[in-house]
Amino acid sequence: MEKDTVHQDGKTPEALAITDHKVLVANRGEIAMRIMRACHGLGIPFTALYTAEDSASCHCDLARELGGEHCLYRVSSYHDANEIMSVADASECTAVHPGYGFFAEDFRFARRVTKRDRKMIFIGPSWKIIRELGDKINTKRLARSLGVPTVPGSDRPIYDEAEAEHIAKSIFEFQESQGITHPLVLVKASAGGGGMGIEEVYDPDQFRSVYRRIRNYALRQFKDEGVLIEQRIKDFNHLEVQIISDRSGKHPVHFGTRNCSIQSTGRQKRIEVAPGFAPETLDYSFDAAKVLTNIVEYSLTMATKVGYDNVGTWEWIVTRAGEPFLMEVNTRIQVENGVSGCIAHVAGRGSVDLIAEQIRLGLGEEIGYTQAEIATEGVGLEYRIIAEDPANNFIPWVGKIERFHWKDQPWLTMLTHVPTDRPYEIPTEFDPNLALAIIWGKNLEETKERGKIFLDSIVLEGQNASGEALRSNIEFLKTNTDQILHF
Amino acid sequence: MLNISELLESIKESPYRDIVIRTPHTGCLSFPDLAIGAEVHGPSSQWKNKPGTLLATLERERNPKPILAPEKGELVELHTELAGTFVEAQTAVATIRHRLTREEVEHIILQKALFLFRAPERAKYYFTPEMDKKIHATESHSVKVRDGMELLIMSRMKREVHLQYSGPDGVIYAIYFKYNENIDAGAPLIGVCTQEQLPAIQEVIMRIKTEWAGR
Repeated sequence: MEKDTVHQDGKTPEALAITDHKVLVANRGEIAMRIMRACHGLGIPFTALYTAEDSASCHCDLARELGGEHCLYRVSSYHDANEIMSVADASECTAVHPGYGFFAEDFRFARRVTKRDRKMIFIGPSWKIIRELGDKINTKRLARSLGVPTVPGSDRPIYDEAEAEHIAKSIFEFQESQGITHPLVLVKASAGGGGMGIEEVYDPDQFRSVYRRIRNYALRQFKDEGVLIEQRIKDFNHLEVQIISDRSGKHPVHFGTRNCSIQSTGRQKRIEVAPGFAPETLDYSFDAAKVLTNIVEYSLTMATKVGYDNVGTWEWIVTRAGEPFLMEVNTRIQVENGVSGCIAHVAGRGSVDLIAEQIRLGLGEEIGYTQAEIATEGVGLEYRIIAEDPANNFIPWVGKIERFHWKDQPWLTMLTHVPTDRPYEIPTEFDPNLALAIIWGKNLEETKERGKIFLDSIVLEGQNASGEALRSNIEFLKTNTDQILHF
Repeated sequence: MLNISELLESIKESPYRDIVIRTPHTGCLSFPDLAIGAEVHGPSSQWKNKPGTLLATLERERNPKPILAPEKGELVELHTELAGTFVEAQTAVATIRHRLTREEVEHIILQKALFLFRAPERAKYYFTPEMDKKIHATESHSVKVRDGMELLIMSRMKREVHLQYSGPDGVIYAIYFKYNENIDAGAPLIGVCTQEQLPAIQEVIMRIKTEWAGR
């Protein structure tokens, strides 16, 4: 064994007790704060990072408060893996928590953390699992091999025109058999991304010309003329299943479902609700309870098959006909994990901190409970409070926040890196998320009512360099609160 | 009316700029054999390919990065007490007292003489593709702008919006931003010279050339 791989007491990171670990919090803002609090609660020391643009963020204040002045390091960028490794070494960290975004789903980063001379633990799934499930085509193929429904269409790049036409024809026919009056097929460059090289086909007779156009575009832009052909689903709800498992990968359990259908025009989530439907309260045109059971079962089947070994989210599309299709797997903690945690009980203990669970299991502890010991109570709701202009295509608003406060409530958890005791300039380098408000109620009606009470209590004011008043999505959240869990 | 003589005199009274050299990222610092008071030089030769004086070395993940003097001047601070320690990004390593060059004096005075179109928000700025082509294809001081024309793209938080120029019609005489760098709200983006002002600006440049040349 190389000397560098050994940490204190001559042990490898996997052999340390969890309180002998030190976690590098490789993220910013509210998620960094949740990780720090979780570490603190578990008795694990941590090191935090910040960049010059983030020096006024409350995540810096909390790091100093919980970890002391020397636990906080200024780095050039959160995107620079060398910075993270170098601070981890200098502060003798034994594990890295990536949070969400940045390196959270980067299998190369996860591999580097665990394979370098001075090895550490990556608090997330193992790098092989991130690689396997991070590839959407691979995930789709795996799902199909297990009988898990995926969006109808190709599960590999298509290079042959006759085959492409055959797939498109079958997708049109499938939609017609589902009673869809305006079936749509999506043609997209397999090597593309970010919305580039995608076209919808409304008319089967137009398919060939669209296919050729996308194929040629893909060849020019990506040097690969492979094309994917899928059903374009428009009228759907976006659901998720929260999975969690220990390092053995043998005992995955679920923490229920979430509904994330209320989104901005750019398909970014704004309101998340757990559980994913409310069949006992609302009417659905399908058996919603059965859909929730099915997607949980499908997700667990896949998690078991791959030996999933940390937290992860299976994302689903559910059509108006009650058909679930697996969209993708997010091999990380989600922003909205708290909404599942707030309705969960484990062995009688209420409100589960899924980030603390992620850390505990990531560092090698056994899960210690079974699915039978996990119960849920009530309805959880999360609002993403964002400086943006919903009336103007949700364009981010940038400027100085001068007043930010709300009325505390026993049923409210407010997660924010924005200071409430001083003005705060929103950094332009990052997403404009200001806060997450998690609300619990014993049923859907109470949760919605409390949500509105909370939104009415928020004061969020500021102005930009031109003297224009702060714009936020609070009215958008209020208006949409009545719609939650409706389909 | 700009009083060039007065401006030049005030610059001559203190013709220096202190340049604080900071670490670009984290790492472990070491210093060469340099002392406060030493003369250092910036990159030189026709293409500036000869590096400036080595001020320190920053090692991170076994990669040593030389920290070099960006300009000529006198070393007035050198934080050798940091030798062998792990430092954060943006830690001050040295300070160089640099005597202003003629180009820098021109830059200072032009900022007072030209119409400055400023950044409305902290963001990254790019010329629109058409304007970018013109600026690269034509001679300097010949790209015209007029009030209301689409000139720049303002990029922040993964969103881009087009930005119209507002100000007097004229030619772009100076560009104050670099691609991919964040510009603070209120910082100048371009300096515009009106057609009528052009002879006066050229005279300013000539005066700086003659009055600063021998210094």
